Amino acid sequence: MMPTSVYTRDRCVTGIHGLDEILRGGIPYGSTVLAAGTCGSGKTTLAMEFLVRGALAGEACAHFTATEPSVKLLENIRQYSFFDMNMVDSGLINVFDVDVLYSWLGLDKATFDLDDVHALIKAIVDIVNTIGVTRLVIDSVTTLCYKIKSEQLIRDFLFTLGKKLATLGCTTVLISEITSATENAHWSSFGVEEAIADGIIVMGDVERMGHLLRFLQVVKMRGTSHSRAKHAIELTQLGVMLTPMLKWGASSDRTSRWGA
Amino acid sequence: MADVKFSAEDEEFFGKVGSFGVAKFDGVMGGGVPRGFTIIAFTQTGSGSDLFAKQFTSPAEEPDNTILISTNEAQKEIIRVYEKYKWPLDIGVRTIGEEYNASVLERDLLASRYRLEGFQLQDIQRLAQTRFVDTENRDFLTEVTNEVMALGPYYRAVIDSMDFFSQRNESSRIISMLRMLQAHTQVMRGILLVTLSAEGMPPGMKQEVASIADMVLEFKVRTIGTDFETSMTVTKFRNAPENLRILVFRVTPEEGITPETVERIA
Repeated sequence: MMPTSVYTRDRCVTGIHGLDEILRGGIPYGSTVLAAGTCGSGKTTLAMEFLVRGALAGEACAHFTATEPSVKLLENIRQYSFFDMNMVDSGLINVFDVDVLYSWLGLDKATFDLDDVHALIKAIVDIVNTIGVTRLVIDSVTTLCYKIKSEQLIRDFLFTLGKKLATLGCTTVLISEITSATENAHWSSFGVEEAIADGIIVMGDVERMGHLLRFLQVVKMRGTSHSRAKHAIELTQLGVMLTPMLKWGASSDRTSRWGA
Repeated sequence: MADVKFSAEDEEFFGKVGSFGVAKFDGVMGGGVPRGFTIIAFTQTGSGSDLFAKQFTSPAEEPDNTILISTNEAQKEIIRVYEKYKWPLDIGVRTIGEEYNASVLERDLLASRYRLEGFQLQDIQRLAQTRFVDTENRDFLTEVTNEVMALGPYYRAVIDSMDFFSQRNESSRIISMLRMLQAHTQVMRGILLVTLSAEGMPPGMKQEVASIADMVLEFKVRTIGTDFETSMTVTKFRNAPENLRILVFRVTPEEGITPETVERIA
């Protein structure tokens, strides 16, 4: 009997050392991935490298920064040798300050209503569509959703945005700020982002012999099989390096294992 | 506030009083408005206060030390009136309403366009290169206060009208601004006229504003049969209650505002 051919979705190769192996080739194209992590876990660096690797492959990339001014973001990221400022200057990586976007759209107010949310979606989709963005990072979706007071509106915002970006073939990384990355934690601040996202990558810290080690774990990724193991992250000059963690090495693993 | 030295030459030139810009009014008010006075004019729509405010600048003893700050009218309209009555055109004129339209409303209009029509490629390129929000949230009240406070001795200033600021600022800010201006006008022996709509103003606020002023005018309009009658009532004149008057006035093409009859009220 002839073996039936297995359909595999096209992949957005992240180019991040170790991550494509975890994802068996990369993120399925057009996915919306929630990169949820604690403070200092390497979310922004991972997301920026994701864009840089795309730009190096000739893809148009966009980064919406809401947590820090783009000037500061670019200054911080310049220390990594994988990053080249020419990518920003030449328009391969387009960095947008969300507060500037808000100001242009008349959204510099405390809370967003339905019209405001639609205006924001339209603006992001316009940008993606007009310049043909295939890799998008929103840093962070927590800050973006902070002004949307209704849970239903947050759900609509993320669902509509994700759907429209997927239609345009744009692979999106939504950065989510969380306070804890343990097994019982939520992967998002509002509790709805994780349900809507196609993929969830969790980043946090584990203590090992008095040191805090960064880890990454792919919890969910629709459209591909993937490892669900924790991987240690090292932020090197060359970029993010992922290596499998020893199963019983981390104290937080041990704690949860024995239910203490 | 630092002591201001006035030269004998200036004291002689400017004298103790300045003209109201209306000769007949000067006549019944003991020669004019005492130097250092702050005049508050409570106005009614259609009572002629806009014209009086402009006419008040017409004596312009020192044109570069005279300013008209208008919040409602455009520069062109003001020039047209000054030309019509042959009032000096070399005084300082600031049109806050136009400045507000240019900075705030223009931005709102652009935001509506982006929301409705979306971004064009050149908009996106500009957005990607804009690193900071244009935080030009202009505080017109502070700007106007500073502008008047920067005028030298014997200045003449008109703010027409304060309504623009009271709609956008806390009343406590308006009061403290008026107090500062009143003190500055007194020290500099200037003359300041501030118009303010009395309609809808809380009685407490009106009382407080009136207490700051050295002179209070009330502009009123009423109908008599098929005609309108405009009047100006002097309800406060510091240290000269004999000057309290009701003046019915009309507007003539030659003289602008001209009192017709004068009625003593004290």
